[in-house]
Amino acid sequence: MSTTALSIEARQARVTRWLLLPGIIWMALFLVVPIAMIVYVSFWTQTTFNISPKPTLASWQQFFSSSTYVDSLWTTIRIWLIVLAATFAVGYPTALFVGLFVKSKTLSTVLLVICVIPFWTSFLIRVLAWRPMLGKEGAINIVLMKLHIIQQPIEVLLFTELSVIIGMTQIYCVFMVGPIAFMLARIDRNIIEAARDLGAGFGRIFWKIIFPLSLPGVVVGAIFVSVMVLGEFATSGALSGRKVNLLGNIIVTQVGSLKWAMASVVGVILTVVMGIVIAGFLRIVDLKREL
Amino acid sequence: MEQRFLKSVLGVYVAAFVIFLYGPFIVLTILSFQQGPDGGPQFPIIEWSTYWYQQLFGLTPPSRIAPLPFGDALIRSLILSMMTMVVSTVLGVMSAQAFRRKFKGSSVVFYLIVLGMMVPGVLTGLGTSLLANNVIGIERHWYTTAFATHVSYTFPFAFLVMLAILNRFDASVEEAAWSLGVDPWTTFRKITFPLIFPGVLSAMLFAFTLSLDEFPRTLFASGRDQTLPLAIYGTFSVEIHPNIFAFGVLTTLFSFALLSVYGILMGLSVRRARRQAMQEDIA
Repeated sequence: MSTTALSIEARQARVTRWLLLPGIIWMALFLVVPIAMIVYVSFWTQTTFNISPKPTLASWQQFFSSSTYVDSLWTTIRIWLIVLAATFAVGYPTALFVGLFVKSKTLSTVLLVICVIPFWTSFLIRVLAWRPMLGKEGAINIVLMKLHIIQQPIEVLLFTELSVIIGMTQIYCVFMVGPIAFMLARIDRNIIEAARDLGAGFGRIFWKIIFPLSLPGVVVGAIFVSVMVLGEFATSGALSGRKVNLLGNIIVTQVGSLKWAMASVVGVILTVVMGIVIAGFLRIVDLKREL
Repeated sequence: MEQRFLKSVLGVYVAAFVIFLYGPFIVLTILSFQQGPDGGPQFPIIEWSTYWYQQLFGLTPPSRIAPLPFGDALIRSLILSMMTMVVSTVLGVMSAQAFRRKFKGSSVVFYLIVLGMMVPGVLTGLGTSLLANNVIGIERHWYTTAFATHVSYTFPFAFLVMLAILNRFDASVEEAAWSLGVDPWTTFRKITFPLIFPGVLSAMLFAFTLSLDEFPRTLFASGRDQTLPLAIYGTFSVEIHPNIFAFGVLTTLFSFALLSVYGILMGLSVRRARRQAMQEDIA
């Protein structure tokens, strides 16, 4: 009896292995190896039109001695922090309404679907749509002038860092709303009732109960937003008139002029920044446990 | 009292939020009806017309503004998304099925898969093209290198969807089948798969839409022939005309159609499951 039990166990283990193998191989070949390649090629020797595997630190030295490149690192971090804060500030109240205040399940589903519908427009066209919104003769200026709030059109709206931040906030804020609303909806209403019965005001209930319980959602949302903003180049390219250069923009221009080694150096730096950010977030919350 | 006040304030806020979310799309839709071919992609509207929609379908006489070169790119993108959808859903179902048993190194494998959605696309794209172009020395194509990066991006989503579905799955029906001597593969085909089918549909939908709109990975990894997002990106560098806005409106409507089909399929499968359950109750 025990031998058959063991063989069933062994058989199941074998099935598990075969089920996992294709996925593991795919991710190893097309995700881990490519990232390793970025690290590897960043030490290659670059000449004007050619690149050879002879190891050198030249591209690394070039990166850290050029203020354009180093500035792009700081710009990336600055824009990432601003957009992260903006998506949180814009998204949290919405999530609070959808996840906690709306009693009807249907209404909250409808609201979430309303939030998701804009994603059915191509990402690049959504970026492009901000141009006629923000321009000197754009929709925002027209509306504000009609309402007599301003006399002169605001010109700093388009082709500045501000336009990049506005665009990214609108495009990514829904990634904050979703996870936070999900966590808020899971809160046991009896806890809130109990706190209220004991005489706690809404502010106290929010800071002591609601916010801490929604924190995993905030972290998941922050990971989504960070991954997308740190790797961005299309929004910054299209809305800043090439004035805002993120690390992603540098990679694109370097690849465009076949400077693979420099593109790889920037890639490694982006990977490191990414790794630190995600590791930091994952220390706050265990992603696997929250599923 | 305090709570009711707060709820109405938040309600007003959410209305403003929705306007913020939809503002660009509304402006885009308005401008897609700009007069053509001389009207530009900005206010004011010179005269309302459907010129740019007609131009998309080649119904207008040739003018100084060339029609968008999107035909081939659209077909390529649809084929690529189909391929990505099938492969990543199969991989997702297999891996999630494996995760129902505890095994050594499960959290390493979990993070290896989830890594695919955490690495920015520009890095996967760059790495894959370095691997193909510089290290191995093969040509890049949308159906080879770009396809590989698409799957390594959508597979984690399919995996997580299936994991969530299988976590809530009642294993006793499978055990019943096994104890009756049905082999595991038949059990999966006849029992497990029909039950998790709504989840499979969601995973497919996720993979398809993510792949259809995927841009940064494709930019470096796809070689000479463009996919749809690359063709759209190509119009960024030249002058923009309202035809791109008309195209955006049409693709959004197409997505709506797709979503409706998904909703109907989902509704049907839920209803069928309910009917079967009822029949079993009667029996």
